[in-house]
Amino acid sequence: MPHPRTAPALAAAALLLAATACTADDSARPAPAPATAVAVTGPLCAALPTGSEPGNPTFLAGQPAEAALTWMPTLTTFEAALRTSGALTGLDTTGGITILAPTDDAFAAKFSDDTWDTLMTRDHQKLRTLVTAHLIAGAHTVDELAAAGTTRTLDGTTLTVTRTGPTTRFGGKADAVCADYQAARARIHIVDTVLGPLPTTADGTGHRAH
Amino acid sequence: MRRRNILIALSTLLAVSLVATPASARQQDTPAPHQVTDLTVDQADGYATLAWQPVPDATDYQIERTAVDATDTPTGPPTIVGIWRPNRQINQTSPTFADAGFHPGDRFRWRVRARIGTTEQPWSEPVAGTTTAPWGNPDTPGEQLRTQWETTRAAQYTSDTDEYAYTAAIDQLSDRVRVVEIGRTVRDRPINMFVIGYPTPPATPAAVAATAPVAINCNVHGNEPGDREACLIMARQLAFSTDQRVTDLLSHTTVLIVPTINGDGRAANTRGNSTGQDLNRDYSLIRQPETAAYVAMIRDYRPVAGYDGHEYGNSRAGDLPMLPPRHQNVAQSIFDESQDMIEGHMYREGAQAGWWACPYGCEGGGNVGLSEETILRNTLGLKNVVNSLLELRSSGGQTRPDEGNTANNRRRKTYSALWTFHQFLDYHRAQLADITTARAQAITGQAANTGRLVFRGSRPIPAHPAPHPGDSPPPLDAPRPDLILDNPPCAYRLTEEQYHGARTDGPGGTGTTVAQRLAAHGWKVVKTGDSYYVPLNQPERGLIPLLLDAQGVENLTDGERVYPTLTGKRTGPLTVTGFACLAGATVTGPVTVRPGATLVATGSTITGPVTATGAAGVLLADSTVTGPVRITGTTDAISLIDVTVTGPVDLARNTTGADTPLLAGTTVRGPLTCAGNAPAPINLGITNTVHGPRTDQCAAL
Repeated sequence: MPHPRTAPALAAAALLLAATACTADDSARPAPAPATAVAVTGPLCAALPTGSEPGNPTFLAGQPAEAALTWMPTLTTFEAALRTSGALTGLDTTGGITILAPTDDAFAAKFSDDTWDTLMTRDHQKLRTLVTAHLIAGAHTVDELAAAGTTRTLDGTTLTVTRTGPTTRFGGKADAVCADYQAARARIHIVDTVLGPLPTTADGTGHRAH
Repeated sequence: MRRRNILIALSTLLAVSLVATPASARQQDTPAPHQVTDLTVDQADGYATLAWQPVPDATDYQIERTAVDATDTPTGPPTIVGIWRPNRQINQTSPTFADAGFHPGDRFRWRVRARIGTTEQPWSEPVAGTTTAPWGNPDTPGEQLRTQWETTRAAQYTSDTDEYAYTAAIDQLSDRVRVVEIGRTVRDRPINMFVIGYPTPPATPAAVAATAPVAINCNVHGNEPGDREACLIMARQLAFSTDQRVTDLLSHTTVLIVPTINGDGRAANTRGNSTGQDLNRDYSLIRQPETAAYVAMIRDYRPVAGYDGHEYGNSRAGDLPMLPPRHQNVAQSIFDESQDMIEGHMYREGAQAGWWACPYGCEGGGNVGLSEETILRNTLGLKNVVNSLLELRSSGGQTRPDEGNTANNRRRKTYSALWTFHQFLDYHRAQLADITTARAQAITGQAANTGRLVFRGSRPIPAHPAPHPGDSPPPLDAPRPDLILDNPPCAYRLTEEQYHGARTDGPGGTGTTVAQRLAAHGWKVVKTGDSYYVPLNQPERGLIPLLLDAQGVENLTDGERVYPTLTGKRTGPLTVTGFACLAGATVTGPVTVRPGATLVATGSTITGPVTATGAAGVLLADSTVTGPVRITGTTDAISLIDVTVTGPVDLARNTTGADTPLLAGTTVRGPLTCAGNAPAPINLGITNTVHGPRTDQCAAL
């Protein structure tokens, strides 16, 4: 073991922290306010930051998509997967991008902890395939996608998009639970089921023992 | 849509309010049958404790919360936020519920009603209160610091970089805090530890160890971050609070907080570290740098009590499932004291504060909470540390229906962890004498190397008496017959290849050597001849076979069992030239340990001088020596634990390198002289009784 040593004092960062009482992350800085408030729709929206709370939909509208995702507290798994896979980093998104973002609950229902850790630590190619199955070229509202009836994700899969009452369903199984977030050149629709080709490995018992 | 729903709810509420009787008149009314009465609310950090008079025959209670403004006019819809059930607390006469999840600082009104069967009874009169704002005056330097999690209202967890900045700011602004880096993750993220004492923390790990410190491990699984946020908030409170309780606590011990040993996993939101290794299956094997750092910290700082924070997916569990070290090799006294901390303290205090502490498992726990020594809870127990696992139930479950809102869910978890960690400090403060007694018993008992060893198998945890918080204790997990060793060896012998050979079980296929890992554990190893011996008469006796015996379920290497060389009576001089092990032996005559040789003894009586000059090792435990004991020039290891010496004891010019000589729980009827030893001997907090003068390095032992 190296001898314990005093942590380097990040004085400048600390002062910044103290002065702004805010994160050092660029994404936390106020974005240019859009002309109108952003309306998101779906049963989950009420459980996400709303009104003037940090991370509210209007605030997120000017953020890069990756930064916007960090403010949606039900997307911790997907956000990390997108980041780890690098699927957006190498992508030309000047034409816009649509992100179908499964909730943490959706991932918990899909993958066991072991599968997920393997995807995140070793099988990055497979992870990238999984993530791209949730990306669509162009920034589309759910209304636009539903009107088209089908769409194609970046992994080459054609998804049906159906509308039943207020609910928009992708690929016959993933319902939008909070749709129409805006981010810079992006639309984000939170869905309740993981898409893509990977098999289900969760056994329904919740996560493992401590 | 949503806005309209709120408006409808608001107008309904207003209508109800309009027909309600004015408050002044209400108070004189006789309560309706089965109406909850005497509802009170007490505010604390991140939660509000509701308490009321029980209603006869109530099946359960519903807790309703409504956001209100300063004039107590509702600003949001009433919401059922809690269900109180009888298994929630150990006493039924004073029901309490810790409501949490709201943004701290907001004002609310609460009501409680009983249900009999499924029939709802009348609501209580409301109580209103402003909840406690996030800790720390925004205008006071230091106190004003906030984590990313706090400033984003729990929408984001505190990132690695924000943690470092926050940690460094506390370090800089508080004299009570020193932040040390105890290691680095696989991806080279720093693993920091707050060392907190009052007015300042002791300067060295050994000086900290002398204060019987407590250690909190906040984030081992990267996707279970709730405890970590509590730790960061608590570090700020301990660093800057002028509250008399806090300064008193910190005047009597040192608090060690490791916010994130798994920074790589936290950044990726994965359970394991960046290699996919579950770190809470690695605390004995220490294949990974993160766990090795924590174990070496335990060796150097020697906490006497610990908590290990997790989250738990069982939605039927209580708020705060807890579990002591259960492996059967853990000393009974450590198990008992840990159980007392959980069932004696946390259950009782939980019933006061309204938190549902419960045994691990609770309802539908499954086959979890077992004896793996790879789990920190058990590893710490085997290191004679009173400790508990802490789980935060991941979901709102059946008793907190308003946690579909993620921020509410996150805040409940974090503030329940904050409550637990503060209670842990209070327990340590109140029970330190009991804790140190349990630890002393454990260390002397372990070093005596008596009784069977088990490789896997738990002590039973009986169900807490009804109405217990919890319906099912963790599984019995008794040891299988093939995992019991009735005849413990004296030591394990390792070859050069086993001890120093290259290993492949670490990150990237490179592992540290067995030598490095045993050193991180702080075990005494002696080299005699071509072999390395690890005697069992050491404080961590219960853990040694799990790593070095071929029968160990997850062992490091297949060491050779070495059995005692002398067990009966012997009269006449005994000269040790190789590795000698006395167990239950009676020797009448002088014992001489030659250069390079090793003497290990337990349960033995020696009448005659014991002289070791240039020995590799001298390790005596649970034994009696009549005659002078002179140990000089030892090269590898010295240990005298629970030895009674009638005559002088002289430890001189021993140079044992990385090994610190132990002199603990020993009685010397004569002078005790220690001079020129490097390192100087220590007593592990177990004082020695010396009837003669003590000098030099042993003056304070």
